Amino acid sequence: MSSQTGQRAVPGGEPLDVNDPRLSRFDIVREGARRDDIEIVHYEPQVAPGTKAERRLVRTVAGFFLLTGLAATAFLAIYIWWPWEYEPGRGGDKLYTPLLGVTLGVALLGIGFGVLTWGKKLLPKEVSIQDRHEGAPPAEDQRITGETMAYMADELGVKRRPLLGVSLLAGLLPVGAVAAAPLVGGLISDPHKDDQMMTTGFVPRDGQKIRLVREDGRPIRPADISAGGQITVFPGVEHGVSNRYADSPTLLIHLREGDAEESRRNNEREGHGGYMWGNFAAYSKVCTHAGCPASLYEQQTNRLLCPCHQSQFLITDNAKPIFGPASRRLPQLPIEVDAEGYFVAKSDYTEAVGPDFWERP
Amino acid sequence: MTSDNDRRRGLLARLRGRPGAPSRGRRRLGAAVRLVAALMLAGGAYTVLAPGAAAQENPPLSTAAADGKALFDVSCVTCHGRNAQGVEGRGPSLIGVGAASVEFQVSTGRMPMARQEAQAARKPEVFTRDEIDQLAAYIQELGGGPVVPAGDNLHADGNVAIGGELYRINCSQCHAFSGGGGALSSGKYAPSLAPATDRQIYAAMLSGPQNMPVFGDNQITPEQKADIIAYIQQTLKDDGDPGGFFNLGRYGPSTEGVAIFLVGIVALVFASLWIAGKS
Amino acid sequence: MKRRKFDVAAVPGNTARAVDDRFQVATPLRRLLNKVFPDHWSFLLGEIALFSFIVLLLTGVFLTFFFEPAMTEVIYNGSYAPLRGTPMSAAYASTLDISFDVRGGLIMRQMHHWAALLFMAAIVVHMLRIFFTGAFRKPRETNWIIGSLLFWVGFLAGFTGYSLPDDGLSGTGLRIASAIMLSIPVIGSWVTAAVFNGEFPGTIIISRFFIAHVLLIPALLVALITVHLGLVFKQKHTQWPGPGRTNGNVVGERMFPRYAIKQGGFFMVVFGVIALMGGLFQINPVWLFGPYEAWVVSAASQPDWYVMFLDGSTRLMPDWEITIPIGEGYVIPPLFWPTVVLPGILVAISLLYPFMEARHLKDYRSHNLLQRPRDVPFRTGLGVMALTFYVILTLSGANDVIADKFHISLNAMTWAGRVGLLLLPPLAYYVTYRICLGLQQHDREVLAHGVETGIIRRLPDGRFVEVHQPLSAGNGHGELDYAGWVVPKKMNRLGALGPAIRGFFYPIERPAEAPVSPGHPPVEPRPEREEITSGETRP
Repeated sequence: MSSQTGQRAVPGGEPLDVNDPRLSRFDIVREGARRDDIEIVHYEPQVAPGTKAERRLVRTVAGFFLLTGLAATAFLAIYIWWPWEYEPGRGGDKLYTPLLGVTLGVALLGIGFGVLTWGKKLLPKEVSIQDRHEGAPPAEDQRITGETMAYMADELGVKRRPLLGVSLLAGLLPVGAVAAAPLVGGLISDPHKDDQMMTTGFVPRDGQKIRLVREDGRPIRPADISAGGQITVFPGVEHGVSNRYADSPTLLIHLREGDAEESRRNNEREGHGGYMWGNFAAYSKVCTHAGCPASLYEQQTNRLLCPCHQSQFLITDNAKPIFGPASRRLPQLPIEVDAEGYFVAKSDYTEAVGPDFWERP
Repeated sequence: MTSDNDRRRGLLARLRGRPGAPSRGRRRLGAAVRLVAALMLAGGAYTVLAPGAAAQENPPLSTAAADGKALFDVSCVTCHGRNAQGVEGRGPSLIGVGAASVEFQVSTGRMPMARQEAQAARKPEVFTRDEIDQLAAYIQELGGGPVVPAGDNLHADGNVAIGGELYRINCSQCHAFSGGGGALSSGKYAPSLAPATDRQIYAAMLSGPQNMPVFGDNQITPEQKADIIAYIQQTLKDDGDPGGFFNLGRYGPSTEGVAIFLVGIVALVFASLWIAGKS
Repeated sequence: MKRRKFDVAAVPGNTARAVDDRFQVATPLRRLLNKVFPDHWSFLLGEIALFSFIVLLLTGVFLTFFFEPAMTEVIYNGSYAPLRGTPMSAAYASTLDISFDVRGGLIMRQMHHWAALLFMAAIVVHMLRIFFTGAFRKPRETNWIIGSLLFWVGFLAGFTGYSLPDDGLSGTGLRIASAIMLSIPVIGSWVTAAVFNGEFPGTIIISRFFIAHVLLIPALLVALITVHLGLVFKQKHTQWPGPGRTNGNVVGERMFPRYAIKQGGFFMVVFGVIALMGGLFQINPVWLFGPYEAWVVSAASQPDWYVMFLDGSTRLMPDWEITIPIGEGYVIPPLFWPTVVLPGILVAISLLYPFMEARHLKDYRSHNLLQRPRDVPFRTGLGVMALTFYVILTLSGANDVIADKFHISLNAMTWAGRVGLLLLPPLAYYVTYRICLGLQQHDREVLAHGVETGIIRRLPDGRFVEVHQPLSAGNGHGELDYAGWVVPKKMNRLGALGPAIRGFFYPIERPAEAPVSPGHPPVEPRPEREEITSGETRP
């Protein structure tokens, strides 16, 4: 069959005269298909007209459409009259969205299945075969088009007049760059402006050490945190408790006596001697892996777990990563208690806070 | 002898948690308790009547605490040691943990523990409310510590909006936004808050059970604790899910992903099987 | 002038003629109406993606009317009491308004989200169908590439949309995205600063994501989908091999009316399923998550399922940090490999696969017939291998939920994922390869000996043999060649296989000239079922 291209053999050999009054409409349809190289080889009504089966199918389809009408009306009624405003508890408003979904879903499925049943069961089954007509296009056409394009290139004569080509390129390249420049240039923002990647809100201002405050801005006394407790603290500056200081949230932990002892020893070893105050240690809450708040503090094992990628840090070993993908210790904030008895940061973090990056020293 | 046997059987029944047993076990334990109390009284009388026989270091226990001590000596002493001083490798000292800790551990059924494991799990509780109070009184009188305020409804005047903010800062990292709990390192976990009562949540915050950090009254004031409990009980638990009949366990995207394949894709593949199927 | 009677019945015909006189559409329109599409359930998987995209556009337009893409801080004062008085971004507040103060807004939001998940799921399932049947081979490599790109553009659309509400969960995702950008060697910090206009989170990211989510990415998606469908149309759909089906034809139904009606109906079904899911299953309850605050996080923080494989790869990655001792020292963080390099490799492999396979097989012909997965064991094996890899990563993305709900140690889950990621894919390849060979073997056996009938016959010498119904029509002993078609394995499949073209098991050179006329069944009756006359015993 693939060898037969072009006009397909039809009964009679010649294309039909579509104006022949003896032809039925289907004959013309079939002739049209033939002209598109389609042979309708099988065309069979699934239900004979007027039979019981047909009436049953018609009823089914009609049933689907009526169901749609019903469901859609219900949707409108619910949409308009059902109590929908939020009330605490398990009131009727909690049913609003589900009811809308069910009615809308049933309405749409009704049309869908109605139309599908119509098309699938009531329309005649057919098998048609269409030629693909693909594969290599005629070599002649390829040749003609190729020659035409080569001819156009010749006419432009860039080969003979190289200056034109060079100068055009020299002109167009900058124009292309001009198109990109405002976008790129506008987006560029120096990541190291004000040393923002290395500093947090705990940088002392005007020689004043920054207090550690709670989420409501109150400063913190050592007595506020029980042993085995932890609290999220923020720099006590304006907007310190906001996303403007997204790298500053810190976990202040009150270690138990023995753990604190061990912690101090390990801090010394890491060059962080004196960073703790009493049994209190403060570590950045921003994970050094991907920046999530690593704040699942296990007070007995002294592990700090990050819920995003399960890095685990051992607080008593200067927040060393002991499991998971994190490779760097959580930075430690050096703290002390000021004259009024509130926690302050002795200085800013002594290393970059947050996820790692290329030029982190 | 009989009393010994009784006591042991009653205890075993409790540890096994046989469903039919409680009434009988409790009766037996009651008997045992009475007996021990009687012995205690006798002992107490003896110490009082025999001056100089024992040094008077601890103040005498109240009646409730004495009952609690009796219970302790039956159910807890194996792991926590005589006078709740702890047994190396089995159970910590309970001196100073306070009534709050007892209330949390015993009322959630975590204690007495069925076996040593990474973390004690919530089980049906073994002791009655009165017995828990007695145990709590005993531990409280031993070494002091935090106490849960009286009453069953501790969130009556809580503010859910403030509670929500505090919950998200202090609790959600382990117990999840929805209160469903989450995994911790090496098999430990933060439990679901669904079965927790007001008193248990309050006690947990005060005492920091297992690996939970302690949230003392200086850090989170009693009013704030009421706010948090109000948020958990009213918003997380009582408030329905407005978005559907099924909340997919509120586990977030993981169950949503399962749902789109098991419900959406499966339903539509069946639909396409029907559509393209031979009629 | 004589006044002519106005003939209403002639109006459509006259109008059509008038239109055609001016635009000459009759011929192209006939071609369109007559186009033949093959019919198979697996060809409808792509439509699920297409239709959910349409639902996404419809619900998305609704949402834009109420969403405010700004990070300016407002104090919430809407209906939802548990957040009243809380400072939050305007974006989050307007999302709450859509959920609680816009009538019917919540179901629109949920339908939009479910449609997005369905869009991505359907893309993946559709892609698997294309891969396992070899539908990506020449001449359809371009469409395979476009399809792969659609997954990644859809991925971006999903991620940007997921981030817009600025709630606690999506903000955490955005934080991780910023860390991923930051991990790129040399330019990382500059890229992050460019995207966020400074340090994370800045004040502009939601507005930028918004315009990307509602304009740039949808435009790209529409463009890609248009080309995708255009190419399917131009190159004509592939088909399963079978009676009368050759590499040079398409056997199926004409586009109109039946095929188009089925498509329309299926759209309504997809729409209906999305509506049902949007109403019945609560998705992304942002009101529980609170506004995004850098210090707030939840246990079990996960991205949507199609991003979860990246989360999984990140969780499984060991803490290998590379330090480059030049100057003050430079760092390549461990985050870089599973989140930038791995997706890069995956994109490259998926884009290049059709060419790699063609080169490997030295097969540069055009293929319009599909292959059954069992017939190409190495490709099926590779596909299952890749799928195993992907599924392990996705499961690892939820390993904390699994650990918690099934009481498994979290650390054990991570290790199981690490080991499984290395061991299971090759194992899956081997097992799949063997299964494919086994299935092929069985097909050939049935072709040679016939279908098991379940009839046991006792031979005169006392042996029992099972009677096999041979498939070849003639002498009952001829072996049939395996042609990549479905082989019937049960008696009741015999005669019910394939469309009603004569000669099921012989490729026919020309389709039979069945008398065709509407309203009359074909005159030729179906072939009589042959009686079971002889059987073959297995050797």
